[in-house]
Amino acid sequence: MLVVDELKKNDPQLRLVALMLVIGFFVLLTGLWWVQVVCTKEYQSHLTTQAYRTIRIPAVRGKILDREGRVLAENRPSYNLCLYFDDLGDQFKAEYKRILPLKIVTTPAPFWRFWNRASVTTPKLAKLTASQKDALGWQARYNVANRIAATVGQQMGQTLAIDFKKFAAGYQKERSMPFVILPDLNDAQIARFEENYSTNLGVNLQMQALRTYPLNTTAAHLLGELKQDKSSINGEDSDYNYRLPDYRGATGVENTSDAQLHGNAGTEMVQVNSQGYRQSADIGNAPQAGQNITLTIDLDLQRAAEEAIVTNQRAAAHAAVVVMDVHTGDILAMASSPTFNPNDFAQGISTEKYAQLQQSTGERNRATYENYAPGSIFKIIVGLAALENGLNPNEYYHVQPNPSDAAHGCIFVGRRKIKDTAPPGDYNFQNAFIHSSNAYFITNGLRAGIENIIRMGKKFHLGERTGIFPSQEAKGDFPTLDQVTADDWRAGYTANVSIGQGAVSVTPIQMAVMISAIANGGTVLWPRLVDRVEPQDATGGEVAKQLPTALVRDNLNVHQRNLQIIRAAMLQDVANPEGSGTAAALPGLQICAKTGTAQVQDEDNHNTGHNYWFASFAPYQNPKYAVIVMVESAVESGSGGKISGPIARDVYKAILQKSSEKLAMKK
Amino acid sequence: MLNPSINNERPNLPDRLQLVALAGLMFIGTLFVYSATAANASASAGALFDQIWVRQIIWYGLGLGVATAVCVVDYHTLARWSFVVYWAMILCLVAVLIPHIGQTHGWGARRWIDLPFFQFQPSEFAKISFVLALANFLGRPDDELARPAVFWQGMGMMLLPFALIMKEPDLGSAMVLLPTGVVMMLVAGTPKRFLFTLGGIVGLLVMLALADVIFAPPKFRIPIHEYQRERLLVYFGRDFNDANATPEEKKLAVKMKSDSSYQSHQALISVGSGGLFGKGWCKGDQTALGYLPAGAAHNDFIFSVIAEEEGFVGSLIVLTLYAVVLFTGLRIAGQARDRLGKLVAVGAVTLIFSHVFVNIGMNIRIVPVTGIPLPLLSYGGSSVLCSLIALGLMQNVHIHRRGY
Repeated sequence: MLVVDELKKNDPQLRLVALMLVIGFFVLLTGLWWVQVVCTKEYQSHLTTQAYRTIRIPAVRGKILDREGRVLAENRPSYNLCLYFDDLGDQFKAEYKRILPLKIVTTPAPFWRFWNRASVTTPKLAKLTASQKDALGWQARYNVANRIAATVGQQMGQTLAIDFKKFAAGYQKERSMPFVILPDLNDAQIARFEENYSTNLGVNLQMQALRTYPLNTTAAHLLGELKQDKSSINGEDSDYNYRLPDYRGATGVENTSDAQLHGNAGTEMVQVNSQGYRQSADIGNAPQAGQNITLTIDLDLQRAAEEAIVTNQRAAAHAAVVVMDVHTGDILAMASSPTFNPNDFAQGISTEKYAQLQQSTGERNRATYENYAPGSIFKIIVGLAALENGLNPNEYYHVQPNPSDAAHGCIFVGRRKIKDTAPPGDYNFQNAFIHSSNAYFITNGLRAGIENIIRMGKKFHLGERTGIFPSQEAKGDFPTLDQVTADDWRAGYTANVSIGQGAVSVTPIQMAVMISAIANGGTVLWPRLVDRVEPQDATGGEVAKQLPTALVRDNLNVHQRNLQIIRAAMLQDVANPEGSGTAAALPGLQICAKTGTAQVQDEDNHNTGHNYWFASFAPYQNPKYAVIVMVESAVESGSGGKISGPIARDVYKAILQKSSEKLAMKK
Repeated sequence: MLNPSINNERPNLPDRLQLVALAGLMFIGTLFVYSATAANASASAGALFDQIWVRQIIWYGLGLGVATAVCVVDYHTLARWSFVVYWAMILCLVAVLIPHIGQTHGWGARRWIDLPFFQFQPSEFAKISFVLALANFLGRPDDELARPAVFWQGMGMMLLPFALIMKEPDLGSAMVLLPTGVVMMLVAGTPKRFLFTLGGIVGLLVMLALADVIFAPPKFRIPIHEYQRERLLVYFGRDFNDANATPEEKKLAVKMKSDSSYQSHQALISVGSGGLFGKGWCKGDQTALGYLPAGAAHNDFIFSVIAEEEGFVGSLIVLTLYAVVLFTGLRIAGQARDRLGKLVAVGAVTLIFSHVFVNIGMNIRIVPVTGIPLPLLSYGGSSVLCSLIALGLMQNVHIHRRGY
């Protein structure tokens, strides 16, 4: 080669220089090879980390519907007024320049400008330290944001102020994300904004799906509460840079069916520039909407149950109503009072409101999450246990008069006297049942023995959860066989249990299951709340999933004859004028019931209140509905039949109306 | 010493291979100055004349004109005027240090003299005048070169502009004078003992300067700018810490370190993310997203833009073009008529190579970040003019390689 030939015969110094050049080029080439070919993956990932941000986009939550498809919970678009930092960069800079302090500087003419020696005075930017510049930068950005907020606010007829701390946090940590100035605009505000603003001012509306419960307080406990939670769920990416607000169900169906309702969050990839502003965005994978849940609830009955509490008691009453289909276990209504508005939680409840709610214990679902002494409604189980163990229902038992109150009876257990609300006299099973005679049931409970009562209770799975709201269910108290066969178990305890006091407590939902078993001929069912799960978008190819109905938990294995005796006694309790449940009587429907009035005692055996029960089913022939009503009261205000009976009656009224409507529609 | 094959050529023709490589470099320069400034909205808006890539073309044109003018006059005539130019440049270097004459355009360094039409950067022109003057000085007979007085005078010629440019401060431009001077003395045939002394002095200077910057307590440091010290510390991987700093100071120091290392880090990401084939012209994310500082991308960091957008292949093409320019330069030196011609060519080659090595080296972190342009590719009037003048000088030596 010509170049090399020339160098060969040239002097050694030139060859040395050539060698140095060769070495130099070789070093550069090796370095470039190393950086660009060997290590290129590493630098590409550096670039990705610094230039891309991932955003978690929550999926639209599935709707919650009643058994006839009426909406209980859905989503509505909510518009937030937002600042977009990426469009404000120029305004920030301009404002910074505007507020930068100036210094007047006199510059003498440069040496070569001989034609004009006059010195020039120019305003120059003052020299600032780094921290001064930083403070000035924040001032400039905050000024711009406030100015925009003020103008927009004026147009919308509302004063808007931006909290500096929030603004600073938004700018520093989530610069490529919209910054919310005013959340959830109403229609008038949206219209005013759309009239006055184009999109390029750095301020715009951001749409967000917001959970809404159109019926407000209706079925609140059942539907449950949402809590703000934007964390990743199982199977999702966990390393998002930013996350848009998302919700998870905290209680109720929102919680138990959260896995179906929440859907799958999507990912948005945002390319950001060196200042952290958004450059471009594309959807990595789109969010998949959650599935719709159809409940077993009948909205008409649910409303009737809630209204029945309010009209017969008051809105602040502590009460619960459960309506269950005795053959399928479907919960048709589940009301708890006092109630709350789940919309408050979806929109972010104020501390004040939350404190109020806690004060009223309105969050508590009394149908499932509270243990109550069952009182006389437990006599159904005691009676069944006694009948199964050979009690002759037609045999008469004499109730002795109470020595201190001749109008009522009493019974002595050991040296202890237990009062009876029934008058003294002779009682067979049915009479004792409708007068709810303590003396009769204690005597026969003691005769049958506590072990048989416990065995019977276990068949109804008392003391165990029904599984309807795993995190919101009390399991009640029920003694074990070991406890009742221990040496320290006394006859007095058995006497207490026989009348539903003492060691026994239950939840209304447990009682609904129990009454259903009595009504349906001895099948203990799992209560059921979710009927169907179906995709929100029917075109997606996914099919609706029907959940199994009438799930059998246990069988009582008792004589049908004995169940019939109980059912007949329950019918008389309402139908017989002497019965304790006559207040629930309704023409056109044969209602069967047992009333109960339990005393609530604190640890020192002082009475602190009463639980008024009305456990019922209807119709007598071909039973279909179980209705359980429970009202708590701190003062003694009557009996289970008088307090809770009318509530049950109103619910049955709604049931009757509903079925007559259905009949009319069929015709 | 004439090659017979060359005897048959027609005289007075420039070295065509070098011209082709030169054209290639200028083409690439235009393309990537455009690419580097395309993303910057304020730079790419406005009249065509205001656009940086158009100005770069204008500078290329002006530079080619000046280079042609340089070729026309025999380098012996030019060499006769070299001392005048040299001292004029020294004067400019002094003038630049005087406030109101010397201007700063960022970085806090006083490097420019603002003329009505042009921001004149004397250090660039000083480098080229230094090469010509030293070649002229060393072009004397061998026995004179052996005299210590001549050696020390040569040293003085090198150290005077070195010190003045250091004072601006412009560490990079000052540093490239050293290898250029050393290589020219070597090629001139300066006796070995002097060369060892020279090597020793230069080595010691560099070592002392580095040691002082990095280890000495603040009182005893050479007065260089804080940003230069930071860059050096970044390169040597040290914190900006005094031993007895409070935690707050240490935290601040770590932050400062990451700020100073920002440019070199981003340059490295640009080059590395380019991979084998690059992302395509005007498709470099680092430039478009502003991670590579907008002020530097078309300037000192133009190589990062090329390497990111064209990958290792692009780097290879650029290096090959430089290699062609420099080795043809060495061939010109070998064919030169006399020692003056040889020294002019070798000086120009070394000067350009030093720039190339330092500039590309700082992109891949094998040398510290010093603000030094990449000849012919970086945007900038002074740099483009001087690079083309240096190439004009080589061609001059080539054209006038025959005797009278």
